[in-house]
Amino acid sequence: MEEQKLKIMVIDDENIVGKRLKPALEKTGDIVETFEEGEKALARFDKEPFDIVVTDIRMEKINGIEILERILAKSSRTKVIIITGYATVEVAREALSKGAFDFIAKPFKPDDLRAIIARASKELKS
Amino acid sequence: MHCRAVYGEMIMRILEKFKKITHKEPGIRDFCIQTIRFRKLLENARGLLALLADGNEKVLGEYILDRHYVTSLIDSSVERLGMMIYDACVLVPEFGETLYTQYDRHKRRAGELISQNSPSATKDMEANTNISSDPEYRLLSDVLTWLNGEPSDPGSTVIDFMKQTFVRVLKHIDTGNNSTIELLLSNNVSKAPGSNMFLLDLWEDAVVPSVKPHSPYAINCIPLKLLLMDADGDNLSPLLDDKNKTATWVATASEYQLSLKILEPDCSFHLEATVSRHEPSDFIFIFADTTINTENILPQGFHTEITNYGQLAWKLDTASKDIEDSLISIGRNLSPKTV
Repeated sequence: MEEQKLKIMVIDDENIVGKRLKPALEKTGDIVETFEEGEKALARFDKEPFDIVVTDIRMEKINGIEILERILAKSSRTKVIIITGYATVEVAREALSKGAFDFIAKPFKPDDLRAIIARASKELKS
Repeated sequence: MHCRAVYGEMIMRILEKFKKITHKEPGIRDFCIQTIRFRKLLENARGLLALLADGNEKVLGEYILDRHYVTSLIDSSVERLGMMIYDACVLVPEFGETLYTQYDRHKRRAGELISQNSPSATKDMEANTNISSDPEYRLLSDVLTWLNGEPSDPGSTVIDFMKQTFVRVLKHIDTGNNSTIELLLSNNVSKAPGSNMFLLDLWEDAVVPSVKPHSPYAINCIPLKLLLMDADGDNLSPLLDDKNKTATWVATASEYQLSLKILEPDCSFHLEATVSRHEPSDFIFIFADTTINTENILPQGFHTEITNYGQLAWKLDTASKDIEDSLISIGRNLSPKTV
């Protein structure tokens, strides 16, 4: 039986992140959509929920923590992974306490993120 | 009233003690402080090399990074370089003006890179097809050229400036080799019987130098013990053309650290090592001037850099066991039996 494809949303206001992550994550056959603005991403999520949301923590209009809260309010089953260039214990603790599945610090290798996504996918199926 | 008198007496006693220490052996303390400062210089240079290595790894394109990473790399490099230049100026204050003029030039270049006034970007990208054409990677490529590209003139890249600074400092330190021997002798520091090495306990002798000579095994210094493990009779070779001439060494030691140098007017050899079994800290650094053939001394795996004044060599970011084995091997290679 064919394994169900994951729907992954990537939100980062730095264009390079989405541009590089999309092909890297699509390699495993998953569906990836990228956004540079949090509002547009949330509007898209309203139309169609995603299994996994990967979001940067520091963005100009809406930060990653707010996105995390709003996504989980819309869909509690969605796994939210926080990416940050400012990895601190406080940021990680706050994100995890608010329900983030995990976090990853920039710069990172796509394989490292893929490993987190694989864990998230396992939880979604269980 | 009585209390005030007792307190006054106590202060006087402390001042007397302090006076005794400061007047007794100021030279040895200065020598130990110079050793510590030189190690700080090495530590900051190591920090710069780590930043360069990180940038080189990231530029290959496997990583997801953003502009913040690149600007942080620039800021951290400028900061580390500044710390290194500060150490160099503490060691040799008369270099201050020259070194800070060059440092300011690097700070200006860093500012240009951050504000993207980077005319070489396109040229670099054409030269290296492995680098992604994304602006962040282009900027990173320019930063790496500034750090360690082909130097257009001496000191024009950060790493070349770092090497030049080392050579200047070492050259200056070595001009005082004769006066170091006088300083040691005038402070009653002597060599252990049968040894050609003055040995100082970095922390103890900086306060009150020992009147009795330390034997290499009296000080619990792991790197020194490793170095002498296979050496002939705890002695190191003269490293001079004239093998009959006995060379003099000075070792400044603490539990995990060893600073060793030869005290001869026409020969320059420095060895700095940390062996603590904590891999990120452990390293060996060697400087040997052009009179010494390091091929006979260095085991495999050393990074070497040639300068007009001599060779810089180091081994770091490797297993502690490798550092330990290398020290034993260097000791064996320096042994009079081997040479």
